[in-house]
Amino acid sequence: MKDLSITVGWLYPDLMSTYGDRGNIICIKKRCSWRTIDLRVEPITAETTIKKLEAIDILFGGGAQDMEQEIVMNDLRGKKSTIIRKQIEKNMPALFVCGSPQLMGNYYEPAEGKRIEGLGIFDMISKHPGKNAKRLIGNIIAEVQWENLTDRHPEPRFNRGNRSEGSNQIDSSPLAQNDSLIVGFENHGGRTYLGTNVKPFAKVVKGYGNNGEDETEGVVYKNAIGSYFHGPLLPKNPHIADWIIQSALSQKYQEDIPLTPLDDTLEWRAHRFIANRMGVEL
Amino acid sequence: MINFPLIFFGKVLSALSKQANIGHGSTWPGHIALRVNKSIINELIEKNNIKIILIAGTNGKTTTSKMLKSILEKAGFRVLHNASGANLLNGIASALLLHASTTGKLPYDYAIFEIDENIFPVVVKHLIPAYVMLMNIFRDQLDRYGEVRSIADKWKSAMETLPRSTKFILNADDPMIAWLGSGAKNDISYFGVADSQKKEMEHAADTIYCPNCNTKLTFTSVVFSHLGVWECSKCFLKRPKPTIQSYSFYPLPGSYNRYNVHAAVLTARMIGVNEASIKLGLEGFEPAFGRYETITYRDKKIKILLSKNPTGFNASLRAVQEEKAKYILFALNDQIADGTDVSWIWDVDFEEFLPGFTEVFVSGNRAFDMGLRLKYAIEQMTRLDSAERANGIHSASHSTLRDEPSGSDSKSSESPKWQIEESVNKTVSAAIEMLPKNETLYILPTYTAMLEVRKILTGKHIL
Repeated sequence: MKDLSITVGWLYPDLMSTYGDRGNIICIKKRCSWRTIDLRVEPITAETTIKKLEAIDILFGGGAQDMEQEIVMNDLRGKKSTIIRKQIEKNMPALFVCGSPQLMGNYYEPAEGKRIEGLGIFDMISKHPGKNAKRLIGNIIAEVQWENLTDRHPEPRFNRGNRSEGSNQIDSSPLAQNDSLIVGFENHGGRTYLGTNVKPFAKVVKGYGNNGEDETEGVVYKNAIGSYFHGPLLPKNPHIADWIIQSALSQKYQEDIPLTPLDDTLEWRAHRFIANRMGVEL
Repeated sequence: MINFPLIFFGKVLSALSKQANIGHGSTWPGHIALRVNKSIINELIEKNNIKIILIAGTNGKTTTSKMLKSILEKAGFRVLHNASGANLLNGIASALLLHASTTGKLPYDYAIFEIDENIFPVVVKHLIPAYVMLMNIFRDQLDRYGEVRSIADKWKSAMETLPRSTKFILNADDPMIAWLGSGAKNDISYFGVADSQKKEMEHAADTIYCPNCNTKLTFTSVVFSHLGVWECSKCFLKRPKPTIQSYSFYPLPGSYNRYNVHAAVLTARMIGVNEASIKLGLEGFEPAFGRYETITYRDKKIKILLSKNPTGFNASLRAVQEEKAKYILFALNDQIADGTDVSWIWDVDFEEFLPGFTEVFVSGNRAFDMGLRLKYAIEQMTRLDSAERANGIHSASHSTLRDEPSGSDSKSSESPKWQIEESVNKTVSAAIEMLPKNETLYILPTYTAMLEVRKILTGKHIL
């Protein structure tokens, strides 16, 4: 087997990493290293050259606090955004969590102050309904709409945990029927409404999602995913992590490269805890 | 004018609530008293000429308060101390009523109040502090407290409402705290920690851009998180020169406790306490519950280090690493008091510290989230032997591929053994059971898990 290597571009790690966002990078990196895939992390900062940006295979963005958001957008507009848009059009997988999808939409209207123009990658708008509006906070569970992901594999290949493990039957649950669920935590004031050119990433089962009204959670365009889940989305949802890795490999090597299954017992155990807590039996 | 019937009434209520065992922390007598007389706190304080010391900051409030209290008491002052809480004003009013005579006399010279991030602006509407100590601002429970910058803005506005007589004790090494002092007209003294050798910044650093002009700050050295020697190359805001940055005696290890000691010593000096009393006060200091507290249980030694946010957690890990800890227990809960969102564990630098431990116990109602974090922080974890399984402890499986490439074998021998069990009770018992006689078990719990751990080890509730 040839040596596989991919590069993940991490948008402004010191500005856009509010609350455990780097868990996604750690997750992708580890899941690659366990499979002896060489994963490089390329921080995208004000100093990043166009050449380096063009060489990435996956793009990741986390949440930013208000002050940091301004610094980020000033740097991102212009050349960098043109390249990112081009790569996403060419099916590069990307993941934006927490507040960053708002910046990738058409615009964001904060509770106070001016409308912030987004990069327009996702056809959607976000607005904050005002300072006194309720923040949407809490654990969330949603069902991924795989058919909206444009990868060549409609069903991702992933391991659902080692069923034969030990005497305590950790994974004897009928998880197989529910492998489209994602679990996590959301904490946002803004509400997002999708346009016609994009599809939702998932359907809300418990929690709020994009706006607390239309049951949509997140957004998909080509292989780019935006989600209001904040912080470490991938560790407790290894099927999404593997979908991203696999998509990146397929894009880069232009062939189907199956991923070695991993023992994800602990991942699914943590996944199931949230589901059960929210009254969804797995 | 002090309302004597109100004091009497409040005292009766306090006594009743104690009798009824509603608890020491009951705040409703104060709540009722404040409803009747909004300025009751200020009136009682002024009548008795009590000087108020407020202390705010993400980390270090409780330990620093206790250090300062110990020093002031050694100097012969009578000190009232109130821990932080959401109902702080009610708590203060209740505490004052409980200790007041029916004529409104209080036997105190100083009152030290710990205040939560959001409470500071509210508190200064009700009382005028003689001293305000601001320790630091780190990310902590975003779901409750909000963003670092918005906290700082609220504090700045609150500071501007205070009279010139209020003196500030600020952390020079935290750019956000130092910025708060940059425009103030009040008397300000700074504490810091002498230059460290460290240049690398941890991931969980918050204020790395200039609070004044948004330019990236230059750090010539870092103590931990974003605390260090810093300056802005654009607007020239820089670390103010600290009045104190070292001291001859530290009752607790860890660089974060240096900040706590320096803040307490600086405040004591400003009050006029002599050096001998300061030293004696620190020597007589006993750590607060779960803040580097040592407990002996069944002849085994246990240390508890409350670890509730990324910066505090990193500081705890560094402190136990300095003590060459081998046996460690993490307890992660997600109750309201802990923060319901446990995402922050991914900002803790476990990667740096885990390889030094031999046994790792993971518990709390979010034990599997913590276990998962640890799994991704280490090359390979090996489960404890099957004997523990018989005792009802689940052991997680090998976290890595079974056909892992050779070459990692040497690493696995350095990796800790681990086990995961949600029940704190079972985990603590199992860990103590297997702890060799001359070793120490280090427990790093979140807040409510700390209460559970203490209950198990001391048999007492503290709240």
